[in-house]
Amino acid sequence: MFSRRDFLKQGLLPVMAGSTVPSVFANGVAAAAADSPNASPNSRILVLVQLAGGNDGLNTLIPYQDGAYHDARPTLRQDQGVLTLNNHVGLHPNLKGLKASWDAGQLAIVQGVGYPNASLSHFASMSIWETANVQGGIGDGWLGRYLNYLDQVGESPNHALEGISAGSLVPPEMRSKTPVTALSSVKGLRLQPVNEHGTQVDVENPLMRFYGAFKSSGPAPFGALLDTTLSEALQASHALQATDASYQAKAAYPVNSPIASSLKLVAETIVSGLGVRVAHVTLGGFDNHAREKPVHDKLLLDLDQALAAFMQDLAGHGLADRVMVMTWSEFGRRVNENGSAGTDHGTAAPMFLLGAPVKGGLYGSEPSLSDLDNGNLKFTTDFRSVYASVLQDYLKAPASDLLGGHFEMLPLLKA
Amino acid sequence: MDHVPTVASSAPARMPAWKRRVSRRTVLATGGAAAAATAVAVLWKGNDLTQVMDRVRDLTHGYPGALRDERVRVSHLLRRAGFGATPGELDRYATMGTTAATTALLDYQKVSNAALDTKLPIIDFSGARPAASAGAIQGWWLQRMTETARPLEEKMTLFWHGLLTSGLDKAGPAQVFTQNALFRSMALGNFDDLLKAVSKDPAMMVYLDTETNRKGKPNENYARELMELFTTGVGHYTEIDVRESARAFTGWTLTGARQLRLTTGSTFVPRLHDDASKTFMRKTGNFTGDDIIEMLVPLRATAERLSTKLFTFFAYPNPEPDIVQHLADTFQKSRYNVGAVVKEILTMNAFYSEKVYRALVKSPAELVAQTIKASGADERSYVLAAQAMAPMGQLLFYPPNVAGWPGGTSWINGSTLLARINFANAAAQRMTVALPAQSLDQLLHTLVDANVSQSTKDALQAYAKEHPGDQAGLLFMVMATPEFQLN
Repeated sequence: MFSRRDFLKQGLLPVMAGSTVPSVFANGVAAAAADSPNASPNSRILVLVQLAGGNDGLNTLIPYQDGAYHDARPTLRQDQGVLTLNNHVGLHPNLKGLKASWDAGQLAIVQGVGYPNASLSHFASMSIWETANVQGGIGDGWLGRYLNYLDQVGESPNHALEGISAGSLVPPEMRSKTPVTALSSVKGLRLQPVNEHGTQVDVENPLMRFYGAFKSSGPAPFGALLDTTLSEALQASHALQATDASYQAKAAYPVNSPIASSLKLVAETIVSGLGVRVAHVTLGGFDNHAREKPVHDKLLLDLDQALAAFMQDLAGHGLADRVMVMTWSEFGRRVNENGSAGTDHGTAAPMFLLGAPVKGGLYGSEPSLSDLDNGNLKFTTDFRSVYASVLQDYLKAPASDLLGGHFEMLPLLKA
Repeated sequence: MDHVPTVASSAPARMPAWKRRVSRRTVLATGGAAAAATAVAVLWKGNDLTQVMDRVRDLTHGYPGALRDERVRVSHLLRRAGFGATPGELDRYATMGTTAATTALLDYQKVSNAALDTKLPIIDFSGARPAASAGAIQGWWLQRMTETARPLEEKMTLFWHGLLTSGLDKAGPAQVFTQNALFRSMALGNFDDLLKAVSKDPAMMVYLDTETNRKGKPNENYARELMELFTTGVGHYTEIDVRESARAFTGWTLTGARQLRLTTGSTFVPRLHDDASKTFMRKTGNFTGDDIIEMLVPLRATAERLSTKLFTFFAYPNPEPDIVQHLADTFQKSRYNVGAVVKEILTMNAFYSEKVYRALVKSPAELVAQTIKASGADERSYVLAAQAMAPMGQLLFYPPNVAGWPGGTSWINGSTLLARINFANAAAQRMTVALPAQSLDQLLHTLVDANVSQSTKDALQAYAKEHPGDQAGLLFMVMATPEFQLN
């Protein structure tokens, strides 16, 4: 049936010419073309980096002067090479790129971020962060609500590239009625033609006839889902294929690094001026209950190098002022390491906000290592305060409406 | 088996008018209505209200829509209890009829899989590089799903791989392959037995760190996920229960090869077990891991959660509360027998109700297996096809995290839909099945119950007319329909 060469060959087939784009996509493509950086210089872009599994905050932003830290972490403590930020805390030795951003005043770190009655379940806590709903974590994603808001106020071209995610699934924080494009590569996101006796036969029009009419006849809830999915995918595909050749990275991204590949993909969509407003990438592997140190050290190194290349790439394209990166994780780890040279699930952890729009510095107060709640840190800043500040001050959206409440604002942005 | 719907009950036209008017809602609303009272009096067995209500509903409406056709019912059954059907398989099971086909699927121990076992490649882990082994076992399992004579055995193995999951991001290929065999051997057995075996399974011990869980050095990872994901779900235990039960699971270690990811054996070492008193769910004792499992499995929350998971896997999401209660009863009365619950699901009227038909999205495993059943594949193709599942969002033995694949509508987004359609295209173009020139009608019959929207049918007929003789193109177009994406 298949050979490896067949698969490779398919990946190298020529991109379908623009003239074959069915008229239903014309609006989306035109809108995408109009939304070049020059056409809408004020639209700002938020890039979320999810550190999945529960990042060890105490070994990321390290309270290196606190004896309690060294006592709690007999094998996991970072004794040497901490990149000091002040005489209390410093960054993990592998976060050299972030330290350079700190020195340039482009890294904000919010300390001790969490929420009341913290859940130590990965999935319950992820849902809470993704929905900004601390009562059960149900509803649309908080960024999905932001995308809905953009549609309502007509501030954006309503097409499938407003929200993008690297990977094969749409992340829950972007879930809403507004389409989001998940993609693993630009070349992979396209419909292959049929090969009939050596001739390439375009199948978009017949397929669109299936899917375009499925809404009225198909079973709920899939009628509506399948009706729009193909048209949105093809719309995104055409826009991406049309600009793919012109993107040249202005930084050397690390190779064999999934997070670097993801961020490079996001950079391409941003640089290509396709109307991206929010993007999501995931770095997984933080749930280290055993033998944590080598794994965590490598994850932070990969994160740091990928972010450094990403920021350099965007700056090289003159886009530094329009992009901000924010990291989050569902929880931090237990203060005391366990008996397996790892850490069990914990609570509060720091969040990083990175980019030229950011006013660098430490925010919130450092959580105490002695006044604990069942061995876990007591949070000092609610994550919804960070979301509110980003929505209101950076994305210029009505934070209290989108978050369903008022939260303390943090002055995270340059005036 | 006694309440497998039969063809006779599917003829509403022959029913008296009073029966036809009785809906489930009417029964619930009026309670004392003569019709409902008669039906309940005749069918009442103990307090098994769900079954009674289902019978009433069935008497009233018969099979809905497409499921009135027995061949469609069998096709639906094979999609849900297996991985779809080749034209030959569909013919064979349809000849048996729904009831006998259900029995054959459930009693798979009586069906020989010798032909498949002979045909499958030998997986040799000695000195193999892990990367090569990963592809080999993915292809091996996909071939097994596609060609097995015991579809339900393989479907349940996939269910357990999603629920009690372990991944190659931590465990080694030999370990997850051993775990896969464990799931297959205990696929429809008792849940407590399965959990006890999984607790000592090397892949799980590596994936959730029990191999490091020692007396005086408890590791909470497995204990927490055992309760949160495998049994009760959140809200039924405390953080103290997590910490105490982690101590109970101490003592099991890996044996054999010194390399963590290679060993496929485990053993209990008493000196590593914390034999001091533990307090778990308000009981105190010198508990072992098996003791913890014996306390968790009988809990109603476990019965309800597993019943919901199984019903969602086989029938449709968000089952009605009375269905969940009925299945939870079945689970508890059968001493936690999974086979009893699955049998109940596959034979209850809700499994052939209007809500069930095409109420699930085909998972990538189901989609790829059904696609290959239609197009054919050799051993090497299975390895590549298994890898082509990655952009569809389901790479076997690489669950996204300890909760397995979220499934449901998350299988479909723009990116995964294009990957699914492109796979169908590639498979059809490299078709190895010597298909007789099948008409469009025959393809529609085998793959989508001859039940597609008029617009889909019009578009397919137009394509067939414009591309006469392009059998591969036509097969692809049928597999690219929205109807084929559903299960």
